[in-house]
Amino acid sequence: MILAWLIILLMVGGILAWIAGRFNANFARWIALLTTLASFLISISLWLNNPTTTVKATNWMMRYEVPWVPQWGVSFSLALDGLSLLMLLLTFFLGLLSILVSWREIKTKVGFFHFNILWVLAGISGVFLTMDLFLFYFFWEVMLIPMYFLIGIWGHANRMYAAYKFFIFTQASGLLMLLSILGLYFIHGSNTGSYTFNYFDLLGTTFPPAIGPWLMAGFLMAFLVKLPVVPFHSWLPDAHSEAPTAGSVILAGLLLKTGAYGLLRFVIPLFPEAAQAFAPWAMLLGVVGILYGAILAFSQTDLKRLIAYTSVSHMGFVILGVFSFNEWAFQGVVMQMITHGISTGALFIMAGFLYERLHTRDIRQMGGFWPAIPRMGVFASIFAMASLGLPGLGNFIAEFLTLVGSWQANNLLTIFATIGLVAATAYSLRILQKVFLGKNKAEHPLTDLSLREMSIALPLVVAILWLGLYPQPVLDRAKPSVDEQLEAYKKPTIKPEIPAQVTLQTLPADTVRLLNTKGGIHALK
Amino acid sequence: MRLSDLYFLMPLLILVGAATLNMLVVAVKRNHKVIFGITIVAHLVAVFTLLQLNGSSYQIPPFFVMDGWGIFNLGLILLTSLFVTLLSYAYFEQREERKEEYYLLLILATLGACVLVISQHFMALFLGLEILSVALYSLIAYLRTRERSDEAGIKYLILAALSSAFLLFGMALVYAVTGTMSFPEIGVYLQSVSELPLLLLTGFGLMIVGIGFKLGIVPFHMWAPDVYEGAPAPVTAFIATVSKGGMMGLLIRFFSQADAYRYANLMLIFTIIAIASMLAGNLLALRQKNIKRLLAYSSIAHLGYILVAFLAGNRLGVEAVSFYLVAYFITSLGAFGVVALLSDTERDADQLEDYRGLFWRRPATAAVFTAMLLSLAGIPLTAGFVGKFYILASGVNTQQWLLVLMLVLNSVIGLYYYIKVIAAMFAQTKSVQERRKVLHPALSFASGGAMAILGLLLIWIGVYPTSLVQLIRGLLATFMTTF
Amino acid sequence: METTATTHLPSDYLPILIQFAAALGFVIFAIVVTHLIGPKRHSKVKDAAWECGVESVGNARTPVSYKYFMTAILFVIFDVEVIFLYPWAVNFRGLGMEGFIQMIVFMTMLMLGFYYVIKKGILKWE
Repeated sequence: MILAWLIILLMVGGILAWIAGRFNANFARWIALLTTLASFLISISLWLNNPTTTVKATNWMMRYEVPWVPQWGVSFSLALDGLSLLMLLLTFFLGLLSILVSWREIKTKVGFFHFNILWVLAGISGVFLTMDLFLFYFFWEVMLIPMYFLIGIWGHANRMYAAYKFFIFTQASGLLMLLSILGLYFIHGSNTGSYTFNYFDLLGTTFPPAIGPWLMAGFLMAFLVKLPVVPFHSWLPDAHSEAPTAGSVILAGLLLKTGAYGLLRFVIPLFPEAAQAFAPWAMLLGVVGILYGAILAFSQTDLKRLIAYTSVSHMGFVILGVFSFNEWAFQGVVMQMITHGISTGALFIMAGFLYERLHTRDIRQMGGFWPAIPRMGVFASIFAMASLGLPGLGNFIAEFLTLVGSWQANNLLTIFATIGLVAATAYSLRILQKVFLGKNKAEHPLTDLSLREMSIALPLVVAILWLGLYPQPVLDRAKPSVDEQLEAYKKPTIKPEIPAQVTLQTLPADTVRLLNTKGGIHALK
Repeated sequence: MRLSDLYFLMPLLILVGAATLNMLVVAVKRNHKVIFGITIVAHLVAVFTLLQLNGSSYQIPPFFVMDGWGIFNLGLILLTSLFVTLLSYAYFEQREERKEEYYLLLILATLGACVLVISQHFMALFLGLEILSVALYSLIAYLRTRERSDEAGIKYLILAALSSAFLLFGMALVYAVTGTMSFPEIGVYLQSVSELPLLLLTGFGLMIVGIGFKLGIVPFHMWAPDVYEGAPAPVTAFIATVSKGGMMGLLIRFFSQADAYRYANLMLIFTIIAIASMLAGNLLALRQKNIKRLLAYSSIAHLGYILVAFLAGNRLGVEAVSFYLVAYFITSLGAFGVVALLSDTERDADQLEDYRGLFWRRPATAAVFTAMLLSLAGIPLTAGFVGKFYILASGVNTQQWLLVLMLVLNSVIGLYYYIKVIAAMFAQTKSVQERRKVLHPALSFASGGAMAILGLLLIWIGVYPTSLVQLIRGLLATFMTTF
Repeated sequence: METTATTHLPSDYLPILIQFAAALGFVIFAIVVTHLIGPKRHSKVKDAAWECGVESVGNARTPVSYKYFMTAILFVIFDVEVIFLYPWAVNFRGLGMEGFIQMIVFMTMLMLGFYYVIKKGILKWE
């Protein structure tokens, strides 16, 4: 029940903030801040109450289920495991920061702004928690509309275009996913007679071989667009650069993660065969994304656009890791989701601070700010270092684990991916060089970070350092979930396709029964 | 004729009585409030008597049948008409024309739609259709001094008469082949032949022209934008909902009682119509600057969506149609209700410019309109989403991949223009717009209340569709025994 | 096939057809023959538009008062109503009490409408 309360709390808080905002802008800010803080504290208490050592029996810490539309087999089903918990913590952490960041930046329609922020957070938490595919789609869409408003109302000059593009890209891909969900629903229903959208029941559904890849394609479209992977990434730079700072932070830190989360949670366990068949292509897409994003990032002049392209590059590691199918890579992916959320969010916050002072995002008009604003310089360089993967900071752990994992799956592509790290160094250092070093281009004196801004930046530094120096709690927390997603693939062989075919051919009589067990055909071994 | 027939026809008789009473009251003394009150009470009483009928199937041979499907549609039509009435008061109070006859005609049009949905015989069908159409001719041109009002009225008159002629000819051909005009008996005849005779197919084809006109589906959709634009906003809401819903109810009754789903060539015609409606409606809506025209094209597309579920031709499909009709009715009423609410004495608020920055001027109205547009676009938390989901489910269930993919594609196209309106409402207005003359707030109480109820219904069905699904399934139980 | 009271052969309708042909034939005959045998003389005065010995003035397409149309429509309505009354009157016995009640209802509605029309002032000519 506490899981449902998390979401309800945010939604009610949003409505309250909206109403309060009509009377006093500060009421709205405080309500939003306190609501998010409460959610954050609840999820921390969830972490503390469920130590990693005691959850060996099952990796699901809690589950909450009430029938919603029983006629269709839809239930309001929430469940929490290590992965969800980590994602929730990230969500509320960045949510808190984005509210703090907007404290001075947003001056118009404050109530409605915070309503949107809280509802985006509610939608995202819903996505991370739900274990019913109908509900999943529901939350998936719910988080889009407030995001659309965040970009469309409080964004920069070209905001309407960016908002349109964002909305239509994600909606279109989401609808394809809905088709796949329905296909899955009916196939499972006609196989077993029980029509349900429940994730746990749908696991291990068997498809006719011609259907599986198509169903997976629908899911993939939604997640790859959200992630984004290269051919579908074009909404991202626009949306990121036009959004207000809080919007950028939530987009980069959280919305992209829903795509990665979807891949891990749904695509991999639901479609083991199809995913394996698609894996080389997916990894190729990942590597292309890493290099392409890095090159484009290097050549941007708009600071926020630059950071947006680094996201494309970093998310390439995610898809590379997801389709490597081993524990190293998956742990790396989970780490990457968290550390990228923090480091990129932090960079967007820095860009926001600069924008507040300079009213431009153009890095050609920046330079030599270090002497004037040394504190910001220090923070920015820490985050830039994190982004390039300096050991000791979180991103290093994430990328290292991912690459180790993907090496086992595909050597050649891993080598290319590693080149991406070099490119990351180039673009990260370019930010520092162009903005903080060189000749001072400031036309009027700049003020250094205020106390409020420091209190935003410091937790980010602490988090990224902690993840870099002592990631073990996170890895422990994620391990059971990662194992669960990998269950369908736990086999010693490296090339998965061949034994699968053999088993299918040799045991035709038993396949039906065995295929229905969890783990699909691989459980035969 | 039995006395119990009268009992089962009570909702219709009450409408007849109310129309007559209204006429008398107008003759004695014109009073907008009194007429409005009578109309509201009549609708409420009609709904109440409808609730007294349990869902069992009751035959009134040879014309009518009162089964779950009929009761569902009657309830939907009566409630929709009730909401149209509620929205009309403030709208017509601002206008100098004589207002009272409007309610009379509205009741008659509702009556026509009611006859349509419980008919199981060509005669009753034609009777209902003509009562509906004749009342609509005058309703559309009701504000006859306004710009475009005559145009809309004349266009509708001529095209409706033409389509009625097609329908009649089609019926005559069907009668010539089958020797009967009653739907179940046509079904019996169809059982006896292995292949559809050419003459019968021609008859059905001609009937589709008549039916397609009323539904406003491609290629019989040309009237829709002009009529929507020229008619007064509440009448537009009525055309978009009751008139189309009544015909849809009839179409499904005819197809299931005559069991015409079996014929691939008929289904092919409807498949083409559905795809063409979705595409044409959405693509033509993209460039519209006039909200009423935009909604007209969007309604063409939505009828295309409904046809996807209709084509499923099974129980799930009919459920989906029913659900979508409810969602679509609420949404259309809400959308046109906002247009009516914002209209001033000179003209209807139908330009996109009228809505620029609306959210910051009238947040509640804009919020309702936003919810309605999102529902049309099929975004979660609204009834439109669940409806679209239902339709997709019925399409996927019968594996009509082409239709389903077209629906998805069109939803995305549709998003664009719905968002365009939403974006306009949330846009910052540079200059403070000249405040348009708005009526005394007490006058718009009925409209405001109706809008609030519609908004809440929309969200409620969107979040908790269970009860509606249950209701529909319960009512369909008596109708769908043949499936 | 034997003709019975309930089944009709197409040939049974032959008298109607003959009467129809006769009526149509007479009309055509009259028009054609008068046209052929009538004397024709053309002159300028004869071919001019001419009315009651007065020179025609102005456009013939002037608007007509709507009262004429109103009266015409009312005439049509009441005329059609008579069509309902005839078959009812012929079958008065067969239809019995139920038919009588139905006709009363019908006439009441009609009279109410008539009352409305009068109150609306359509029959006032000023």
